[in-house]
Amino acid sequence: MDLGVLAQYIMNGLMLGMMYALVAVGFTLFFGVLDIIKFSHGDVVTVGAFAALATFVSLRSAGIVSSPLLLLVMVTVALVAMAALGMLIARYLVLPLRTAPALNTLLITLMLGTVLRESVRLFYPQGANPKPFPALLPSSSINIGQFNLRLDNAIMLAAGVLVIVGLQFLLNRTKLGLAIRAVAQDEETARTMGINFTAIVLVTFAIGSALAAFAGIMNGLYYNEINFGMGLYLGVIGFAAAIIGGLGSIYGAILGGFLFAALQTIGAVALPFASAYKDVFAFTVIIMFMAWRPTGLIQEKISERV
Amino acid sequence: MAQAGQTSRASLLPGIAALVLATGYLIALLAVEKQPLIIGLLAFGIAAVLAANWFGWLDPVSRSFADREDRLGCFAILAAFVVAVFFREDHFVLLLFVTVLLYVVATLGLNIQFGYAGVLNFAGASFFGIGAYTSAVLNTYTAIPHLLVLLIGGLLAALIGSLLLLPVLRTRGHYAALVTIAFALLLKTFLEVNDVLGGPQGMQVKPMNLFGWSFNDNIHIGSVELSFYFSYFVVSMVLLVGAFILVRRLERSWIGLNLDALRLDETAASCFGLDIARWKITAFLIGNFLIGIAGALFGMVGSFVAPNNYTFADSLILVSILLLGGIGNPWGLVVATFIVVVVPEKLQTIQEYRFLLYSVLVIAVLLFRPEGLLPRPVRSYFPGWRP
Amino acid sequence: MTALLQARGLTRKFGGVVALDRLDLDVVAGEILGLIGPNGSGKTTFFNVVTGIYGAHEGHISFDGADITKASSRAVYHAGISRTFQRSRLSLPLSIFDNIMIGNHKRLNQGLWFNLMRRGDFKREFEANYRAARALVEVFEPQLAERLFEPVAGLPMIDRRRIEICRALISQPKLLLLDEPSAGMTHDETKELMDDILQVREFNKGLTIIIVEHEMGVIERITDRCAVLNFGRKIAEGPYRQVAADRQVQEAYLGVA
Repeated sequence: MDLGVLAQYIMNGLMLGMMYALVAVGFTLFFGVLDIIKFSHGDVVTVGAFAALATFVSLRSAGIVSSPLLLLVMVTVALVAMAALGMLIARYLVLPLRTAPALNTLLITLMLGTVLRESVRLFYPQGANPKPFPALLPSSSINIGQFNLRLDNAIMLAAGVLVIVGLQFLLNRTKLGLAIRAVAQDEETARTMGINFTAIVLVTFAIGSALAAFAGIMNGLYYNEINFGMGLYLGVIGFAAAIIGGLGSIYGAILGGFLFAALQTIGAVALPFASAYKDVFAFTVIIMFMAWRPTGLIQEKISERV
Repeated sequence: MAQAGQTSRASLLPGIAALVLATGYLIALLAVEKQPLIIGLLAFGIAAVLAANWFGWLDPVSRSFADREDRLGCFAILAAFVVAVFFREDHFVLLLFVTVLLYVVATLGLNIQFGYAGVLNFAGASFFGIGAYTSAVLNTYTAIPHLLVLLIGGLLAALIGSLLLLPVLRTRGHYAALVTIAFALLLKTFLEVNDVLGGPQGMQVKPMNLFGWSFNDNIHIGSVELSFYFSYFVVSMVLLVGAFILVRRLERSWIGLNLDALRLDETAASCFGLDIARWKITAFLIGNFLIGIAGALFGMVGSFVAPNNYTFADSLILVSILLLGGIGNPWGLVVATFIVVVVPEKLQTIQEYRFLLYSVLVIAVLLFRPEGLLPRPVRSYFPGWRP
Repeated sequence: MTALLQARGLTRKFGGVVALDRLDLDVVAGEILGLIGPNGSGKTTFFNVVTGIYGAHEGHISFDGADITKASSRAVYHAGISRTFQRSRLSLPLSIFDNIMIGNHKRLNQGLWFNLMRRGDFKREFEANYRAARALVEVFEPQLAERLFEPVAGLPMIDRRRIEICRALISQPKLLLLDEPSAGMTHDETKELMDDILQVREFNKGLTIIIVEHEMGVIERITDRCAVLNFGRKIAEGPYRQVAADRQVQEAYLGVA
């Protein structure tokens, strides 16, 4: 295989990995503060992407044509809207079930995912069909030897890295981040230290959901198409990535996302004749991984008082 | 629930009265075509149940069912036959009725896994689909007798399900949920890209043929003509009664107790000698077997299988039936399946919105009535048994 | 005198914390041994290691002549050790009878065919077990015996403790581990429960009991012998009066150590 194609595969893998990592980080954040899995997280990705698309359509019909401006408004609207949605979900569906069996939270967020997915399908105009997503980033490319680096991909990758670095900064260098980590570490102690538990949970859900919206827009820009079912796939893969890295660990989730994308890319290179089976391969990997290492490469802390 | 000091068995009458009313209501609901009338009938049904609950008329009914379940079960079978005979020429209604019966069988299977053993399975529709595809393939390419095909459908669903056993056994809660969801997505994608199984277009399924009795033809008894679906009704009914008895006996045995014990507290259960893995496997395989058989028969009834009928959303519908009816209560499953399957078929306007509506409904149930419409009573090993 | 349960050099760590530190303990058949010590001294950990919930990092445990150091919880139960839990672990939605039958697992026919198909035989086994459970509950509280098919969820703490003890006793174990049976109960209730336990022992001759307890009144009244743990080590052993007078023990409790 020549170097150009190989580089193309690597680029592709990095893009996938970035999207998976962004989704996985959300799962890990929620698990950190509340010890729950929010199964509707993937569908928040979908709703975020569709919110961005709707913003685009209305701005265009208002006569705005400048791509950078369009993109900026789209990203802002989608991120803010999803942050709000995340807080609403936490406030009205997740927190009220804290005392109920964990199974009920699992079921309720699973059903909520269906509500979001079906709402997009039914209420977005022709939502049942795949929607073209506008290419708003410069599509020119730089040739480096045989490798063709597309500018839009480079920008997205850089933006993704910036987001992750920003998140790291937020969690490790700010008071808010300290509070989130304190709650994740030990809820009771955090409360006695005067941390407003509910507020921290809401903020964490806002951050995680905004990241999901970002991943959704990236997905749209990269494939130039979005559909109502995309979040379900991204959610399952993102959750698997979070498990691979050991639930609760941010670095682990990012690592898991890229690891999974690498596996998928290697699968695509190794089995080019079976490209139709790409998703079958991905989900088989998830199931096999769960059989081999059910609690991830980096063990999740399990403690049970008897 | 058997109360202390209540030594006499409850009367059969309230149970029979409830069955008669329910049968009449069901016939009316299935017969009516005009949309406003259907809405009115549904509103009336809800109001009637609420009123009956308000006046305390439901308690004698549930006592009657608790104590005289064997006898009332026979009456319920009779009631089903009355409904089927009433609609003997109506293909559409009989197909709908058969669909309900087979969904009940599938949710009974899911109930063993999820309701008793607490093993999550969000791929119920996938295993149902495995059964259906089994009959598609075997009826097309082989001459295997169709009763045997049903059996193979169940065994295959159990066998393919056993591939998930290791990850499901080694994990709990959300991890097992992930594994089964991944499997649901995997199977649908696999069926779509696999040309041998017809790809996204699916496959035709040859109708059932039992000992020369072809299920493709209407039945003539003297001058009376019955829809060919009546034959499927009879077979589905036999399957349902068998599955119902199996689930009931399982619950009312030490095995049912084992499953409850491991669901509620694995650590305590293993401190009292329970082999957790053995009973989880037992529950998972029996459950999948029932789901697979129901799917195999459903494939023949529908005469057509396609990946789109066995999606993750359909699996969630099965789980919704379970949660709505009351986890662990087979009678609740029957009621909930009628609601979930029949209402959107009759109310065409909500057909398109059914996944959305049921998700909202289940969220409401989980928030406000987590035990479901008909909560599971405390186990009685023999109905009506008194010390 | 041979030991029924024998622990030698038993060690269990959690991270950097040594919960059990080279513990040696002998329990003689037929005795009631009190296991006492301040909070976090390793009493419950000892129970959890014996019953196979946690593995031991070092040392051995033998029971009735067989090595059970690496035995699973299941195997330990089958060997004849039953326990109760510090925080009541009953299955709340299930009936009293069901909860007690969970403890009788090894004496119930678990065959699939027997349970599903031979319903006549199953009924006979069920009725025999109903009588056994009823007789056992009657020892503790005759009124409770009338309510065997009511869910446990609605019962007060003392009844839940009684049922937990019945669940542990129904299979007629050789060794019973009681983990703080008085937790969450009043003084009078505790006294009542201890009377019941002593009475059960009249039925089940030769039953050996290890009891973890903070109520020293209980320990003084019902134990033949006590072992005192502190920081996972045994610091004293002997009749209650003797260990209570021990200076090291007093220091451990007062935190002077």
